Amino acid sequence: MSAPRSVRLSAVALVLTLLAASCAVLDQGTGLLGTAGKVADDAKTVKTAGEKLRSSFADITEEEEYYIGRSVAALILSRYNVYQNDALTQYVNTVGNAVALFSDRPEIFAGYHFLLLDTEEVNALAAPGGLIFVTKGLLRRCKDEETLGLILAHEIGHVAAKHGLQAIKKSRLADAFMFLGTQAAKRYGPQEVAQLTTTFEGVLSDIVEQLIVRGYDRASEYEADGLAVKFGARTGYEPGSILRFLKTMVGDKSGASGNGWFKTHPSPEDRIDHATKAIAALGGTPKIEAVRTQRFARGIASLK
Amino acid sequence: MTKFRSAILIVVLVAVGLAIAAAEGLVVKVQTTQLRRTPQFFGPSLAALKAGDRLEKVSEANGWIQVKTAAGVIGWIHSSAVIASTVALTSTGQNLRTQATANEVALAGKGFNKQVEDSYKSKHGEVSFVWVDRMVQVRIGLAQLQDFLTQGRLAGQTGGGK
Repeated sequence: MSAPRSVRLSAVALVLTLLAASCAVLDQGTGLLGTAGKVADDAKTVKTAGEKLRSSFADITEEEEYYIGRSVAALILSRYNVYQNDALTQYVNTVGNAVALFSDRPEIFAGYHFLLLDTEEVNALAAPGGLIFVTKGLLRRCKDEETLGLILAHEIGHVAAKHGLQAIKKSRLADAFMFLGTQAAKRYGPQEVAQLTTTFEGVLSDIVEQLIVRGYDRASEYEADGLAVKFGARTGYEPGSILRFLKTMVGDKSGASGNGWFKTHPSPEDRIDHATKAIAALGGTPKIEAVRTQRFARGIASLK
Repeated sequence: MTKFRSAILIVVLVAVGLAIAAAEGLVVKVQTTQLRRTPQFFGPSLAALKAGDRLEKVSEANGWIQVKTAAGVIGWIHSSAVIASTVALTSTGQNLRTQATANEVALAGKGFNKQVEDSYKSKHGEVSFVWVDRMVQVRIGLAQLQDFLTQGRLAGQTGGGK
């Protein structure tokens, strides 16, 4: 009698151990829970908390980020004219998408897209969702494809790290999630859409204010420079190009720089220090290839 | 002996059940993407995937996840294209919940969506979306990107990710 009893006890202990272990699995969830039957039911009794409810910018969905980004882009374009140059736009999109492929976020809801702005102001802007703007003034400062690649990598870094979404005020986000949450399962009525639109306007205002007026904080800019070095080098671009670009900005107090980049970015000297450290941490780095500089010259030749 | 066999049977059944439950569910979170034969962007495509498609995780390597589709096709997808498919098991019950999870909102296609954008547009006629719509239509294909990388002697051949 004693042997079967000990076996039974061991079996029960094993079952309990396995059930406890299953909680971690169920934390992550599975679409197959229905077939797990009794196991899942038992697990429910010991589970005290399920998937995290939305609470921070990180919980904004990809689709929401895309639609926020579209409207932010529209507001950017209400302040700048588009520089219409199909060939150059195509070239910048190709460089940008090549770098994006080697970023930490190569897949994004509707892909990365780049557009040129018709201003001599030296600036680049990244709306959430991967909609990125580069000015003519900034393109003129680029001496080769490496520099352009690293600058676009900096903007992709802002998107990958979701810096734009972090600009949304926490209280606004909490209100939005509370309202959006209860409505998640049904279609919005006119009154609900009106309320959502008001919240949406606030979200856009927070982001545009930071993007165009105040700029990101220093930590975000340094992080984006670090990501630019990482993504650029992964792609095969010589990361020191970002240092050469920043050096052209040192001591430049011209209106072209002052209206854009200088107003919203830390000093180039500080950025050079941080980027130099990021490059040193890479170890080996790719070298500049003449073939790229030549095609950049061809691409940029049409810049008027 | 009968009881002994029963105990063993219970253990086996539970283990099998847990093995099934352990298969992690994923959901595609980007508008469109491809299931690839190898863990690289330039690998051959096995199937087209779209937002909301459910996948089952098989394994993981260097930022890529090997998955099985509902149709049983096994291939690779980049981790940035999927989100864990979660099942809320809150013991507090649905009635007490006032907020949704990101997963639920994503699957319902709710939150800030086209309906909200349309409402914003109608309220702000001065904000034009013409160029936004044009810029998202510019797409650079993977074959074109691969040529661009090769011709520029860039990193190249594998493509992407961590």
